[in-house]
Amino acid sequence: MSEDVTLADQKPVMTLKSSGSKHDQGKLLAQWFKWFAPSLCVLGVFLIATQVGTYPQYVATLLVVSMLIGTALTVLVGFARCITLASGAMLALGAYGSTILVAKFGFPFIPALLMGAVIGGMGGFILGLPAVRFRGHNLAMVTLVFQSVIIIGLREWKSMTEGAAGLQVPLVTIAGMELKSDISYLAFAAIVAAIVLLIPIGLLIGRFGRNLKAIAGNEVAAQAFGISIAQHLIAAFVISSAVLAIAGGLQAPRSRIIDPESYGILASIATLAYPIVGGMSSVWGGLLGGTTLRLLPELLRPVADYQELLFAGLVLLTVLFFPGGIAGQLAKLRRARPAEAAGQTQTRNAPAQTTPVPTQVDTSALLHVGNVSKSFDALRAVDNLTLSVHPGEILGLMGPNGAGKTTLFNMLSGFTKPDTGSITAFGLSLEKEGATSRMSHGITRTFQHVAVFRDLSCYDNVAIGLGGNSIMRVMGGSFSDLAARAAGESAKQKIMAALEGVGLAAQSSVMAGQLSLGDQRRLEIARAIVSGPKLLLLDEPVSGVSEEEIHRIGELLKKINRETGMAMLLIEHNIGFLAQMSSRIFVMAAGAAITEGTPEQVMANESVQQLYFGKTADA
Amino acid sequence: MTEFALIILGGLKFGSIYALAALGLVVIHKATRTVNFAHGAFVLLGAFGAFYIQVDKSWPAWVAYLIVPIVVGIFSSAIEVVILRPLRRADLFTVVIATVFLGVVISEGFRLTYKAEILAVPSTFTGAPFFIGPVILTQDALWTICGAIVVSAACIAIFRYAKAARGMRAMAANYRGAQLCGFSVDKTYALAWFFGGAIAGIAGVFAAPAKGVSPELSIIVIASAFVAAVIGGFDSLKGAIYGGLLLGLIETLAAAYGSSALKSAISFLVLFAVMLFRPEGLFPEAKKRHV
Repeated sequence: MSEDVTLADQKPVMTLKSSGSKHDQGKLLAQWFKWFAPSLCVLGVFLIATQVGTYPQYVATLLVVSMLIGTALTVLVGFARCITLASGAMLALGAYGSTILVAKFGFPFIPALLMGAVIGGMGGFILGLPAVRFRGHNLAMVTLVFQSVIIIGLREWKSMTEGAAGLQVPLVTIAGMELKSDISYLAFAAIVAAIVLLIPIGLLIGRFGRNLKAIAGNEVAAQAFGISIAQHLIAAFVISSAVLAIAGGLQAPRSRIIDPESYGILASIATLAYPIVGGMSSVWGGLLGGTTLRLLPELLRPVADYQELLFAGLVLLTVLFFPGGIAGQLAKLRRARPAEAAGQTQTRNAPAQTTPVPTQVDTSALLHVGNVSKSFDALRAVDNLTLSVHPGEILGLMGPNGAGKTTLFNMLSGFTKPDTGSITAFGLSLEKEGATSRMSHGITRTFQHVAVFRDLSCYDNVAIGLGGNSIMRVMGGSFSDLAARAAGESAKQKIMAALEGVGLAAQSSVMAGQLSLGDQRRLEIARAIVSGPKLLLLDEPVSGVSEEEIHRIGELLKKINRETGMAMLLIEHNIGFLAQMSSRIFVMAAGAAITEGTPEQVMANESVQQLYFGKTADA
Repeated sequence: MTEFALIILGGLKFGSIYALAALGLVVIHKATRTVNFAHGAFVLLGAFGAFYIQVDKSWPAWVAYLIVPIVVGIFSSAIEVVILRPLRRADLFTVVIATVFLGVVISEGFRLTYKAEILAVPSTFTGAPFFIGPVILTQDALWTICGAIVVSAACIAIFRYAKAARGMRAMAANYRGAQLCGFSVDKTYALAWFFGGAIAGIAGVFAAPAKGVSPELSIIVIASAFVAAVIGGFDSLKGAIYGGLLLGLIETLAAAYGSSALKSAISFLVLFAVMLFRPEGLFPEAKKRHV
């Protein structure tokens, strides 16, 4: 795939790498620690439990399972922000799946557990399909449908599940050893959970988690940078469900008998509380929430009846007063030092070259729009329009409100498909392809209303702009980033170079949502140029920013254009800015072309003057 | 034939209850763009109100029909002020979560007070049934169906013509525009929640004799009300009523000619089918413009 088309030379990177290897090693270790820490916590629970009696050991097993459940839901609820009321059904798929395989088909426990995960994953896939279309309350309802249908199915399929009476779960035997005692089963569960946790945690701290947050933050911008929402959400559903199924399978032998009711909607709601109470946007959220909500009822045994009430109340309090959850509160406690630490490590390691190397200029038009029309019902928004962008130029696009500029832009970036006509870039026809394809053709854009990913750091915002966002690469990348440092280094150089270029290197670890509007606009530019695109679409890049900032952004864009030869198509209502920036201006009104030419020619044109100043020909 | 007519009547009776439950959900969603997942719990409160007045206090039934909607309405407005108002700037996700768990708090609160027993409420009318040919029409079924129709008609009239509801209509049509015209968000939302809560309350009073009062009522009702609202197009008051009646019929027919498992599953299958193939609902209020 050509998604990583980068024009930057790789050589400076190679030289820098050898000098910083010791530093890298430290970073790599820190990264690995982040990856392994949750699993170490699970093993820690086991070690603590060896010192106590059998009942606490039994609770510790459930605790380990809750940690797994919480983390599974962090993927889906916390990061992808999909409300699921089907976690009970997923636990049931794993529990019934593995138990039936062991009890009725004589499978050994571990293969049965894995098969349970596969069944859960398939359930997640089916549930993920509608999730692509629905959000918010509709998604919640669709998951409730799934939940109810699975439970009804388990109750009715009596030949396999024994129905409402419940299914006996046989004792687990591993390598000929019966795990009879609480401690032996706890040891087994802790090891399985610790290993399984590595998958969701690795994904969450890696590119996958980053992209999920990007989708939750701004779906349109995510698509423009090649993130397929459908693929990512389905993947989130599959992974989360498979992990839930393993958790269900691990928990079942502790219950002795499983029945459909115990996996009902109340179980879904109770587990939904885990990532919320723990902290939605933290990798640790579900783990902390699961631990807390599992231990709390044990500590409050005298009032065990009030458990659900307490859970629900706790969620309401969290939502109202501590939106960051437990993880958010913990982070606040440590807030004293992060600013300086971030400043030190991330600011001054920019490479020598600040911008990518110029493209070789090819002579034909980069982008050609031929006879494109688009209508919305009776309104002809774009009417038989023809326009070309040539290599290295900044083409200004002007026209009064309603001229069809935005519609044209949306067609160029693939969010709307033209009714008729062709859109060709670099000789390839694009009019049939969706928004996510644009990046791979070397076309990126900025947005009229700033569309930075607010909950991601500036660094991660730009990292998404680097491309490689197809689902397989994202999933693989989440883990290969943990292993290989060289690949990570070269990407890092580019990202820091782009941030340096727009003057945001010092803020690289700041959340994008905390930046000023002007800074957010420049961050969008950094995100759009980091992959070294051949064509940059700028949708009103200076609307709403101060005079000083307008000048700054103008200089920045000109510099990028001069140094890299990146062509730009610029929409702007600020005519002064447009005239000063553009090498050529294209004027449209009511969906059709009016004129084109150099800024001077266009400004002197009578139809343009009439359009903007109401000047008649004879006046 | 007689059997079929009886099934239809039964379906209409339950459908009327669904319709009322869906109506409140739609009123709140229309005016405040919030789907109230605690709506089932509001209906539960209404049903409990009927129990309290008719059984605990042995007051006549009309007292329940009068007082309960007002009390549940006030409670619902209070919920808007205390819980939803601070979340007005939060995203849809957070609001849905809040109402889901609010529903749990209410129904759990109820369960803890009345340890998992089903409280029975007598029918409002127990007189001799009417005979239409061979078909038996109990007074209770007639009362529920007619009552639901009258209440819904009143709601639609209020929403459409009352001065007090003008803000709700304006908010429903154009949120920002309504604010610019001087409608107060706080007042309008509180009113819409009062209105929606009151309808939930009266739905509860109607439902109590047929379904009994138990915490499960809250989940049964929210699921059915949601399905009915989706069938109706979610923003259409009339659609909610048609949707409710249709759902009642489908469920009763499924139970009669299929199995009880089919009855529980069919509403979800209907929901799923409507969402996938006709997301604007079967009875949309007006053609939606996609801009």
